[in-house]
Amino acid sequence: MEGDSSTTDASQLGMPGEYMAGSHYVLQSQDDDCDESLHDHEEGNGSKENFREQDIYLPIANVARIMKNAVPQTGKIAKDAKECVQECVSEFISFITSEASERCHQEKRKTINGEDILFAMSTLGFDMYVEPLKLYLQKFREAMKGEKGIGGISVTEGLGEELTDDSFANQLPAGIITADGQQQNVMVYTTSYQQIPGVQQIQFS
Amino acid sequence: MSGNNGEEKVNHASNSKGISLPMTRVKLIMKSSPDVSSINQEALLLTTKATELFVQHLALSSFNNGSGKDQTLLYSDLANTVEEKETFQFLTDILPKKILVRDYLKLLEENPIEEADN
Repeated sequence: MEGDSSTTDASQLGMPGEYMAGSHYVLQSQDDDCDESLHDHEEGNGSKENFREQDIYLPIANVARIMKNAVPQTGKIAKDAKECVQECVSEFISFITSEASERCHQEKRKTINGEDILFAMSTLGFDMYVEPLKLYLQKFREAMKGEKGIGGISVTEGLGEELTDDSFANQLPAGIITADGQQQNVMVYTTSYQQIPGVQQIQFS
Repeated sequence: MSGNNGEEKVNHASNSKGISLPMTRVKLIMKSSPDVSSINQEALLLTTKATELFVQHLALSSFNNGSGKDQTLLYSDLANTVEEKETFQFLTDILPKKILVRDYLKLLEENPIEEADN
């Protein structure tokens, strides 16, 4: 076998299970022997191999956390389900991006902008995300504007880290929390969602 | 594991924007699409956020769609949801239904086919 990172070496690609070429089935591993770290793709500073678009994944820990918060509290998630969603996510991103890119090209533009993304979602059957996304963007912009007013305090690393249990309980006016005793316009995001079948609303606190 | 530390740093940066996914990684995936030249910040932000919504959407739909017996989201729940719901049908190629090795071997016995070189 050649040493190229093609599909035959499933473990390199962080793909779960064993795939049979040319069939409609995927072999299910009898035992849970997949090393967790294999499914977290290299951080980019490692291999510079030619990855196909579906070979790059978001970290499984992040994906699993979002899933866990989405299902009822008593619910559990099988390991291969997490890995599967991890792959689906990359597929989703590529799906949206291709569509957005196409529209961009049609309008003779080179840079994909927010509108292209929203349009792509509408076109591809994810129009239920559009309104929550617009709302999110609006609040994000407001938070950014506020930042300028206080002399450019960075709303990046360091802020918003200390989320106590209290901050998950109530819905505070969006965009304003206190950190270190100072009032700053920072967007704090809770990962506890209201369970609405099919669609998640965005909560800000 | 040292790998996790790297993730943690990235998570903190993302958290303050109200997202729990690393945007740099999302950008990498976006850039790997053919003919994509550049992506503006807003597009990246929206895509990352949308991805979160997507994970929730897929997970919850599949969970509700499942057998519901032991309250566990299984691979098969995902495969079934993808097959049944139009929104998720773009995923059918990457979510084949699983089969145990012994069942596959049985199938082969019954329907002998030429084995592809692995």
